[in-house]
Amino acid sequence: MKSTLLSFFAAAAALLLIPDSASAHHGWAAFKSEPASLITFKGTVKEFHFMNPHSVLEFEVKDDKGQIQSWEGELTSNTNLAPRGWTAASIEEKEVITIIGYPAKSGAHAMRVTKIVLSNGKELKVGLER
Amino acid sequence: MTSPFRSTSTYTSVVSLAGALLWSLLFLNFASGQVSGTPGQIQYPSEEGIPVRDPLVKAKCGSCHTSDDRGNMKRISWERATPEGWELALQRMILLADVDLTPEEKGRLIQYLSTHHGLAPEEAKGVRYDVERRIHEETSIPKAVMTSCGKCHNFARVLSWRRSVDDWKELSQAHTLRYNAPLSEEAIAFLAKMAPLRTPEWAAWSARTPNKTLAGRWLVTASVQGRVRYFGEMQLESSGADGEFNTRATLQSVADGSTVIRTGHGMMYGGYAWRGFSKGGNATSSAPDDLSNEAREVMTSTPDELSAEGRWFWGQYQELGFDVKIQRASSDATLLGIDRALLKTGLQSDRIRLLGDRFPAQISKADLDFGPGVSVRRIVSRSASEIIAEVNVALNAPLGKRKVAFRRSVLPGALAVYDHADYIKVTPESAIAAFGNETRNRGYQQYEAIAYQNGPDGKRHTDDDVELGPIDVTWSMKIFYESEGNGTDPVGSVSPTGLFIPAGNNPNNNFDVWVLADAKTEKDKEGKPLEGKAYLVVTVPVYIFGGRRYVREFDRWIDDGPARPVQR
Repeated sequence: MKSTLLSFFAAAAALLLIPDSASAHHGWAAFKSEPASLITFKGTVKEFHFMNPHSVLEFEVKDDKGQIQSWEGELTSNTNLAPRGWTAASIEEKEVITIIGYPAKSGAHAMRVTKIVLSNGKELKVGLER
Repeated sequence: MTSPFRSTSTYTSVVSLAGALLWSLLFLNFASGQVSGTPGQIQYPSEEGIPVRDPLVKAKCGSCHTSDDRGNMKRISWERATPEGWELALQRMILLADVDLTPEEKGRLIQYLSTHHGLAPEEAKGVRYDVERRIHEETSIPKAVMTSCGKCHNFARVLSWRRSVDDWKELSQAHTLRYNAPLSEEAIAFLAKMAPLRTPEWAAWSARTPNKTLAGRWLVTASVQGRVRYFGEMQLESSGADGEFNTRATLQSVADGSTVIRTGHGMMYGGYAWRGFSKGGNATSSAPDDLSNEAREVMTSTPDELSAEGRWFWGQYQELGFDVKIQRASSDATLLGIDRALLKTGLQSDRIRLLGDRFPAQISKADLDFGPGVSVRRIVSRSASEIIAEVNVALNAPLGKRKVAFRRSVLPGALAVYDHADYIKVTPESAIAAFGNETRNRGYQQYEAIAYQNGPDGKRHTDDDVELGPIDVTWSMKIFYESEGNGTDPVGSVSPTGLFIPAGNNPNNNFDVWVLADAKTEKDKEGKPLEGKAYLVVTVPVYIFGGRRYVREFDRWIDDGPARPVQR
C-alpha cells in the first residue's frame, strides 16, 4: 500500500505541529540551518529510500580515525523529487558520492541533505541548493 | 432487508461529517437543492436529467427535491455516485434535514440510487482504492482541484461523483455557504469535463440487462499481507430481501491447512459493486489480526459478473484485512493457486501443492504446465481440490515470473523462477500507525517482505526488476536517528508475522522508526542476510493545536472543531 500523497503530507505536517510533546518525530527544525553549519561528506551509499514523507539516503563515511560511521541523510519526498528527475535508482548502492547538508542538532549521525554530487560529477537537485 | 451499510460509522468519516454538519446546520435552506434564482421559483438545469422512478426516493426526498413533469428530481437527477457517495449523502440528509429513514429504507435508497444514479464500472475503477480503504498515492491531482477540494477531500472522494455542469456549480455554492470554500472556476470546468453526468460508459452500462443470478457457489482466493494465501469457496444464498444475499465463506490456509469460516450478508449494487459484512465463528478473539474479525466486504465484479475482487477489512483505520478474489464455480476443473510464489533453480524432486476445484480423478503429468525448465517428475497425490506434484527445476530454467496451468485453467504470473534474490522491499515502504486512547483503538500496520531480483540492467529499483514474491524474514525495529540499542518499548513491537503493534495508549508521544526485515535464507554477495526496511510514523490518535482538536482518520487528520475534553 502506498500513501495518499495529499493526506500523508497533511499527516506528516500535522505531526510536526503537536505542541508540548516529547516527540521523537522530527521535522526540519531538528536540523541546524545556519550556513556556517553546512557539512560535506564523501561517502559510500548503503541504501537510498525514495519515499514519502521523506526520502532517506543511508551512507557510510570514515571518521578521522578511519572508523566507519553510518549516516542517514534526509531529503524531501519522492513526489517532490520526481519532478526534478529523481527516481528510486538515481543513487546506486556502493556508489561514492558527495553529500552536503545540515547536521542534526542532537548530534545524531543524521543530516538534512541540500546537495548531492554523484561520482561522475553530476549534481542532483534537491530544491535547497544555495 | 438489512443494509450492508448498517454499521459503517467507522468507515465513513463520521468525524469529518459531524464537523461539516455543524456548519451546514446554519444553512439548512440550501439542502432543498435550489439551483439559483428567486426564492420560491424553482429552476431546473438545462442538461437532461436522469428521471427518478422509485416511489421510496420520491416519498423520502420529494418534499425538498421536487420533481418536474419528466420525473427529474432536483439535484438527484443530475448526480451519479458510488454506493458510498449516496450513503454519505443520505447520512447528511438524516442529520441535516431530519429525513426519517429506517435502516432498511436507507439500504433500499442506496440500492436504487447507486444502481440508477451510479457509476459505470469503468468510472468506479478509478476510485476503487478509496472504497476498499487502501492507502494510495494520488499523483495526478490537477492544481485547481487540489486547491479547491484537497484541503478536506482526497481526489477519489471528488471523483466518486458525476454531475451536470450546473450541479458542479451548485456544489460550489453549497460549499461557499457551508464552509466558505467555493470551487474555483477552473475546478468546476475541470470536473464538468472529467466527471460529467453523461458518459458513454454510463450510457452503455445503464442500458444493459442486469444478471441477477448471483446465488450459488463461488471459488475464493484470499491473501493476507504478511501471511500465505487462503483458498476456498463462498456460498451466496438469497436472504429473501430484494437483492440481498447471505454468505458463507470457507477459507483454508495453504500453509497449515487451518480453516476460517466466515458468515455474513451483502448486496451487489449497480450490478458490479459488492458491499457486505461477515465475521468468523471465532470472533471472540481479541487479536487485532485474527482472521475471524468482523469485516466489511468491498468487491468489484467484472462486467460479465463471473468474477469479482476487492478487500475485506477491519480495524480502527481499516488497516487490516484480506485481499480477495472470487470466481463462479464451474463444471470444469479450476486451478486457484499454488502453495508458493518462488521456485529456485536447481531444485530436484520438490513437492508443490496445487489448489483448485473439481480436479478430475484421472490426471497425468502432462496435465500440469509450469513452463520451460520446470518438469513434473511425478504426481504424488490428488483430490478434487488438491494436487501434489514433484518437480525438477533446471539450473538454466528461464528466470522470472511465469504462468502455471492445469489443462486449460491458467494462472498468469503465479510462479517466479529465480537463482538468487538481490534485495528485499518491505511493504508498505512508508506508513502511519497510531497509539490508542480512551476512545480510539490502536492503529496497526501489517508488513510484508518481498524479494526482488535485479533485471537485465543489473541495477536495483529499475523497471526491469523482477518481483519474486514474499519471503521469510525476521522482523525487528529501531527508532529513527537513534543510537543502536535504544529501546523501542515505548513505541511498540513487530510480531513474527510482520504486524506492528503500537505500545498501547501513549497520548503524548509520536515516533519515527525503521521496521527491519532480515531474510532467513537469502544472503547478499558478502554472505550477510538480505535486509529491507520501511519507514513508520507512530502517532498520537488525537492532538490539539491552536485551540482546535485534530483526529486521525483513515489516512489524514480531520479538524474536529474547537478543542474540548475527551469524551469518556
